[in-house]
Amino acid sequence: MLVCFINLDMTIIPPYLKLGDTIGIVCPAGYMPFEKAQTCIETLTDWGFKVVPGETLGHQFHYFSGTDEERCRDLQRMMDDRNIDAILCGRGGYGMGRIIDKLDFTKFKKHPKWIVGFSDITVLHSHLFSNFKIASMHAPMAAAFNDGEYKNQYIQSLRDALLGKRADYKTEGNILDQPGNAKGILVGGNLSLLVNVIGTPSDIKTKNKILFIEEIGEYIYSVDRMMYQLKRSGKLENLKALIIGRFSDMKDTTVPFGQTVEEAIKDLVRDYVYPICFGFPVSHDKENYALKVGVNYELKVKKDFVELKEK
Amino acid sequence: MNRKDFLSTVVPVAVVATSFTKKNPFGKFDTLKKIPSYLKKGDLIGICCPSGHITMEECEAAINKMKEWGFEIRVGNTVGVTDFTFAGSDAERAKDMQQMLDNPEVKAIMLGRGGYGAVRMIDKIDFSKFVKNPKWIIGFSDATVFHCHINDHFGIATVHSKMCNSFPDDFSTATQTQIDSIDSIRQCLVGEKIKYERLPIVENRYGEGIGELVGGNLSIIQMLDGSVSDLDTEGKILFIEDVGEYAYKIDGMLWNLKRGRKLDRLKGLIIGAFSIKPDDPGEEFGKTIYDMVMEKVQEYHYPVCFNFPVGHVKENYALKCGMRHRLSVKKEGTVLECIE
Repeated sequence: MLVCFINLDMTIIPPYLKLGDTIGIVCPAGYMPFEKAQTCIETLTDWGFKVVPGETLGHQFHYFSGTDEERCRDLQRMMDDRNIDAILCGRGGYGMGRIIDKLDFTKFKKHPKWIVGFSDITVLHSHLFSNFKIASMHAPMAAAFNDGEYKNQYIQSLRDALLGKRADYKTEGNILDQPGNAKGILVGGNLSLLVNVIGTPSDIKTKNKILFIEEIGEYIYSVDRMMYQLKRSGKLENLKALIIGRFSDMKDTTVPFGQTVEEAIKDLVRDYVYPICFGFPVSHDKENYALKVGVNYELKVKKDFVELKEK
Repeated sequence: MNRKDFLSTVVPVAVVATSFTKKNPFGKFDTLKKIPSYLKKGDLIGICCPSGHITMEECEAAINKMKEWGFEIRVGNTVGVTDFTFAGSDAERAKDMQQMLDNPEVKAIMLGRGGYGAVRMIDKIDFSKFVKNPKWIIGFSDATVFHCHINDHFGIATVHSKMCNSFPDDFSTATQTQIDSIDSIRQCLVGEKIKYERLPIVENRYGEGIGELVGGNLSIIQMLDGSVSDLDTEGKILFIEDVGEYAYKIDGMLWNLKRGRKLDRLKGLIIGAFSIKPDDPGEEFGKTIYDMVMEKVQEYHYPVCFNFPVGHVKENYALKCGMRHRLSVKKEGTVLECIE
């Protein structure tokens, strides 16, 4: 039953799914109407999985998909239930940080399973890896399946990742890229959340890692400020590589900042010699490949293309 | 910043950090003069802009008022300089601040305005002369970077208060609280007794605490987490304020404080003005600042006071960061008093 991998770096890789396995859907953060998860449920079913919606999917308490107790209980049950083989978060928003210290990981540590999500779920990804060395999946959530998008390569990458197919993503280069090759454990997620957990028990160590970041809807100066926090807290200096995802819907102040987000980041990492790529398809837009936090990857940043390959 | 600049700036900071941050077992910086000299008539106040830009014209009200108080003014090279949102490049802003810090004639430095930028230049600053001859640094918002950094490294007192851009242009039409807020800066600088009394608020938690006062803008405090400027709140009275953030963002930052153990060992908590951005339709957060704060601190027993007049509002009284205060929150009202 228990087929956990322990790789050389001692990351615990939860068992990959087989056809017929069961995926639970929970909403540990913001509210999501049930119908918005309908296409996702149908698609997962078409892929050959069983789907169990949790009590928080479609449930609402103000902004949230339930009270802290309800959200915590739903996620806890899904983590502990041996009949659930993986957990897909319906959506992000805000709320994981409110319940994370209430979760009990005792059973989950013995029987880890893939937890899938991004954005606010970054808190859980970081927490699982930094505390228990358990890998988790940064990937599209339920709403990304809508409007016919369930067929796109990014949603397909989630299926491949769940089934244990090793990723090999190729994407075009960017003029700001810093070429080079690197191998290392991949960590990262949403920039706001990565800085929000600094100094907390969910804080993630980035030394010798490949770090990826993405962001949505922030002011450029605010992204610059968060990048300075990463830099000043020592999280950028000893990386193996840096993957800059998409920074969607960036806002500027009345007096312009004077740089794009990418230019500001480039300035900030100028002293580092490791490979850096910009505009990698990890984001709040549809371009969002499944990435396994805690797993070894090889990144090649070449003149005209970028390849991220799971080892 | 090129590599050469980087190296030349890292060295002095590292030296300063190792030679001046050694605390004795009581957490005091006993080898250092902790309270800058209070100002006398004729003393010189420098104005400089480590963050956003400000015009000379916008500084005039502050300059006139401080001259009226009997001080001389030196305007730094960054006043009137515009580099997009900044008052000059990082190097220019660092240079101006450095000159103000190192010039022994300058007895206090008032920042032009907040905005954004202090964190981009602070690691270029060499504080060694400032530590030998401390002077008052005055400002709030983005200036929280300086308050936290200086408290953390050197234990030297600073003034959290309005800056040049928040002096009313016309004092004859200013409200009494505005006038009082501005005058409280003078009181801090000349060493008058600082004691603020507030009417009771039902959401307050009663109690009394004595400790060093620290704090500032919540976004900035979170942004310094994990860095060399990270604020240590143990045994202290913490004040926080913020402006223009969504409720969920404020909640997230309060969780960051709690999970980062910045709330569990306080002697008191002062919640200043929180001008929260209205929720987007359909995204109603459903929690007030009272709810958000109290749910984080319910298991602790120190006093908590809300609506304290500090923050991005007209009523923003000067607070001496790094100095011992008594916070008394009672049903008759709240008193915050500097006791050293």
